[in-house]
Amino acid sequence: MKSVWTIIKKEFARFFKDRRMIISLLLPGLMIYLVYTLIGTITSSHNKPKDYKPAAYVQNVPVEFAPVLEGVLKIKTEEKTVDEAKAEVAEGEAELFIVFPENFVEDLNEGRCPDIQIYYNSAKEDSNAAYIMISAVFNTYMETSFTLNGSADIKFDLAKESELAGSILSAIVPMLMFSLLASACIMVASESIAGEKERGTIATMLITPIKRWQLAIGKIVSLSCFAVLSGLSSFIGVILSLPKLMNGIIGANTAAFYSVGDYFMLFGIIISVVLVIISAFSVISAYAKSVKEASSLITPLMMVILIMGMASMFVSTSSIGLYAIPLLGSGLVISSIMTFSISPLGVVLSILSNLAVSVVLIVLLSFMFKSEKIMFNK
Amino acid sequence: MEEILRIENLKKTFKLSRKQKKLEKTNAEIKVAVDDLSLVAYKGEIFGLLGPNGAGKTTTLRILATLIKADSGNVFIDGYNVASEQDKVRKKIGFLTSELKLEDFFTPNYLFDFFSELYQIDKTTRDERKRNLFRKFGIDQFAEVKLANLSTGMKQKVSLVISIVHDPEVIIFDEPTNGLDVITAKVVTDFLQELKAQGKTIILSTHIFSLVEKLCDRVGIIINGKLAKVDALENITKEMCLEDAFFQLYESFGGKQ
Repeated sequence: MKSVWTIIKKEFARFFKDRRMIISLLLPGLMIYLVYTLIGTITSSHNKPKDYKPAAYVQNVPVEFAPVLEGVLKIKTEEKTVDEAKAEVAEGEAELFIVFPENFVEDLNEGRCPDIQIYYNSAKEDSNAAYIMISAVFNTYMETSFTLNGSADIKFDLAKESELAGSILSAIVPMLMFSLLASACIMVASESIAGEKERGTIATMLITPIKRWQLAIGKIVSLSCFAVLSGLSSFIGVILSLPKLMNGIIGANTAAFYSVGDYFMLFGIIISVVLVIISAFSVISAYAKSVKEASSLITPLMMVILIMGMASMFVSTSSIGLYAIPLLGSGLVISSIMTFSISPLGVVLSILSNLAVSVVLIVLLSFMFKSEKIMFNK
Repeated sequence: MEEILRIENLKKTFKLSRKQKKLEKTNAEIKVAVDDLSLVAYKGEIFGLLGPNGAGKTTTLRILATLIKADSGNVFIDGYNVASEQDKVRKKIGFLTSELKLEDFFTPNYLFDFFSELYQIDKTTRDERKRNLFRKFGIDQFAEVKLANLSTGMKQKVSLVISIVHDPEVIIFDEPTNGLDVITAKVVTDFLQELKAQGKTIILSTHIFSLVEKLCDRVGIIINGKLAKVDALENITKEMCLEDAFFQLYESFGGKQ
């Protein structure tokens, strides 16, 4: 095992003394943090205060309609002429100008079809939104004899904030994590094995008494560490920025929803996923003649990994056997952590299946290091 | 004389890719790189393998170094079979060739320590050996400089030192002075003589006649994968210089100048 440790130390020295590698390791996390924070900030700036109502001028409002309109609009009481009110809507100082016919209720009762005129400004987001909203209100009023969720003071959506956040995160996080980890793995695996092969430095190690499996394990362990670090950097970026992003989307802080145990489980799954991805990429990297060829050969596998991450959104977790499918099972576990519906057996099955695949791939890599056709196929 | 290397009926073929067939202008599916080659080298001698490019010298050396496997035949180094006792063979040999590179990112000091660890050499022995070799080759002047920043000559010195980090008994050098300036080339040739004086066996592949004449005790001439002649240098050069003897042999094997 001493030789394995020697290879790990050398890979670490190679990696951590190279400024470019360290930057490319930390950059994704920083970028994720900045981008998500920016999206969250922009989204939240578009969110209106809870008591926000579009401002509107209303003319000839019938008594029956007044409470409905006051419920959804901030009725401006200043005396304005028609042209002045229209000008304010055009300038964005008011969102709507609603004009009822003078005998609206009578016309309605006598079966005539009175016309309500709603002036709005489609170029202004708020005015446009207010127009859509008030049109829906009138349609509802005209077509039904009752209102739907008419009271603005009652919370009709009974979903818990944590559940809402969880359902959104379960759709985002598995694919996001898979793509971040796969990107990190591509970078380190193709450089470390195909790069060494291309430069002729791996052959120098192959004439020493080191066993091929020791070289394979040394490479996989060290590359997994870099990929985990890179994944961790991305993960921290996600964790730090998610509260801001989710605050922007649903007005809730997600960080408080998950326990330390959830985070530990997530980390365990991440490590097992990294092992599978880095082992698979290492096998491809060992087969390739150059870093360039390795990167292009890895691309289809990268797509499969992303599909596995995405599939967890659509696959039902009712069958426990699905957890035993490498990567897909991990996606399901991440998804279940996010939605607070963790299956302990599923977690164990997923980690075991990932480890089993990794062991098979490490053995395959050892054989590849022994093959002259593969190692000297320039 | 004590035998340290024995090659028996060695044969190695390579399957030619479409690109290689085009390059070599042949329709043959297989290229015979080494064809029924047999020879013996003795302890403490410098054995020269002489031959034109593509003759099979490097393939033979790569088989000796356990990098590739022969199709048939046997190779024994100090009694160990290179095909079935690779770990033992690897401890016995040092291999220097232009195809084996060192990572540019590391310093000579780091690389010496790294390879010493792979050969499981204890720290005291390693430090003493490093001090001697670095001083001899002047590497101590740039021991902490990354290889990327060193000249070709400096890199070759480092490669040479790394190849013998474990004090091997058989040292296999493939074109060790290729691309070196005259001063570095002399340092290398002087060192080979020093190794011989220490009782090491050196298998030297080259196409530089003067180097063979200066260093080698016995010479094997390989043409088209076959061992055309193997004899003591003095016997080969009895009637004519090595270069003339080589070309006479080369033409008799159907080679064209």
